[in-house]
Amino acid sequence: MRRTNRAKRAFLAVMGDEKRQRITIPVFAILLSLVAGAVVYLILGKNPITAYVSFLQGSGLLPKSSYAAKKSMITDLMSMLNAWTPMLFASLSVAVAMRSGLFNIGVSGQMLVAGLITTVTVGYADLPALVARPLVVLIGMAVGAAVSALIGFLKYKWNINEVVSAIMINYIVRYAASFVIKYFLADPVSRQSRAIRDSARLSLMDAPVGGLKMDIPLGIILAVAAVILVWFLFQKMRLGFEFRTIGANPKAARYAGINVGRNLVVTMALSGALAGLAGVTYFMGYYGSIQPDTLISTGFDAIAVSILGNSDPVGILFSSFLITVIGKGSTYMSSNVGVRQEIGSLITGLILLFAACGAFFRYMLARSRQRQAESERLTVQADDGEEAGA
Amino acid sequence: MTILTTAIIDGLSFALPLFIMAIGGIYSERSGVTNLAIEGLQGMGAFVGALAVTLLAGVFPAGSQAPMYLAMLFAMLGGMVYSLVHAVLCVKFRADQVISGVVINILAMALTTFLTSQINATVLGAPSNKFVLGTSNRFSIPGLSGIPVLGAVFTNLYPFELIIVAVAFIAWYVLYRTPFGMHLRACGDNPHAVDAAGVEVSLVRFRAIMISGALSGLGGICFAYSISAQFSPGIYMGYGYLAIAGLIFGNWQILPTLGACLIFGFARSGGFALTQVMGLKAAFSDLFMILPYLITLLLLVFFSKSNHPPRALGEIYDKGKR
Repeated sequence: MRRTNRAKRAFLAVMGDEKRQRITIPVFAILLSLVAGAVVYLILGKNPITAYVSFLQGSGLLPKSSYAAKKSMITDLMSMLNAWTPMLFASLSVAVAMRSGLFNIGVSGQMLVAGLITTVTVGYADLPALVARPLVVLIGMAVGAAVSALIGFLKYKWNINEVVSAIMINYIVRYAASFVIKYFLADPVSRQSRAIRDSARLSLMDAPVGGLKMDIPLGIILAVAAVILVWFLFQKMRLGFEFRTIGANPKAARYAGINVGRNLVVTMALSGALAGLAGVTYFMGYYGSIQPDTLISTGFDAIAVSILGNSDPVGILFSSFLITVIGKGSTYMSSNVGVRQEIGSLITGLILLFAACGAFFRYMLARSRQRQAESERLTVQADDGEEAGA
Repeated sequence: MTILTTAIIDGLSFALPLFIMAIGGIYSERSGVTNLAIEGLQGMGAFVGALAVTLLAGVFPAGSQAPMYLAMLFAMLGGMVYSLVHAVLCVKFRADQVISGVVINILAMALTTFLTSQINATVLGAPSNKFVLGTSNRFSIPGLSGIPVLGAVFTNLYPFELIIVAVAFIAWYVLYRTPFGMHLRACGDNPHAVDAAGVEVSLVRFRAIMISGALSGLGGICFAYSISAQFSPGIYMGYGYLAIAGLIFGNWQILPTLGACLIFGFARSGGFALTQVMGLKAAFSDLFMILPYLITLLLLVFFSKSNHPPRALGEIYDKGKR
């Protein structure tokens, strides 16, 4: 009894007050899922430590024991950054909407439209890279923003729940894109859209640098800039303040004279522009082609990644990095440890599940702290009483 | 068999699993809990059903239809157990219901994909990412199937279609004609009144979500067992989301939702048939699959005034709040 009490007290002290919980709760969620993952490894008779180290090795954060020709830790790292870029954009996109109290569940669809339209317009065009690449970025942003703004407009004008309309648009886009790809763009061998020209591609693939061949994601610069801009928007700008106010309490915002409807469309457009960037850095960068019949999972994962990062640009920087490391490192882990690589997405799923419980953890912690404070006060009172009696 | 009959047969066998998943969604949403988790629930249900049959494959004689009914039972159980995650998160842990649904879908996909591969590799010793299932027999109702055109409705039926019709009827009766159903519907509109009447809101919602899980699992195994004869990650085609479109289209009521699902099913099979008749490339069938989603979206735009989600949908029930 005494011991559990002490353990509980230590736990409460570590988790800290509400401000610190913004960091401790996600970390707690991550630890829980790593432990759960370790249990799975143990059941399969594998060493979890070796497995987790292989994740880091596979994504270029730790050196592997041997490398193929022209490959090194740097090339692994660059390849991981290449995968990270779209995830970072997608999570920022979700976060911008979420700060205003809106769900952008349509990120996957917006990514796909942006990828498809840039593929058709610029991907196969004979343009110099200096023209093609900026064009891809601009068109992608504009397309993503337009689709997402439509969702905002539907909510503003007809009060259609943005989650519902986004799901419908996701699937409309998915099937429309499949049709276009199969009918006009299909490569007869891969059944995907034909590979785009290198001059339009936002990642340099197998670029020879210092005797190595590495992938260089040009979009990562934009992504980091976007993180800073979004941070600046929320912390320093009036528009960001209005977004946050609406997210916290739309009625109060309206009373304070904020144009809620206009802001709704603007938020969604901004969120969509970021989703568009995620789309072009994925389809025109990381992947270089589009598969028909799929909505990629990045857009859905991004929702949970954003929650794990508290919808905060800096938090997202960390959470999206972690999720990408797990995803990217799983292939090497699989060959090294001999467990199917799908366990990577399982661990990711668990992290997201525990992150979704964040509100509950916060609630429980608040209650425990309150109880603890109360019982301490009672003991202090009892002590005082004894002293007075003596 | 003419193309029209084929279209009717295929449309019906697609619409009914969709309908039963949508009924599950109606149960959950009418009790006030947003359910975007149908996609994950049906996948998990189908996985559990397929796993049970695969593991017990040696027990049954070849050609026996018993495994299919066993698969359905296990799929319902699997979906129901997995839906407890959604129930605990939404009702007890006060998590955001939309987030919970999304996370459950992600987790279901990850979990079933991993387990399928891993179990195939370690237990069955065959590296594969799917469970191959037996084929379901089909039957026609004598007499009725002889009616011109409409007879197609009674031709080449899968056994699951009858089961779904029966389950759907029970679900309709429970929702509209029993005290439990009334409490459930009241929980979605005015949970405080239910509480005041002495009924535990969280308990009703818990049950509603579990029913939703079981029905989604049933829908999932119908897609896996009878229609594609295998369980693979390809089960996550977005039919769970299509079921959600169906129940919104049906205004959260069972009979209109049946209509919506039939429209979706026939739009799909009719599209396939039309591409065949007109000699178009198979890619055109994708264009027809746009229709259900587009129709639902347009319906929301034009009839947004008469489309009523339950009033307390998506709100966390807080006893102290008035």
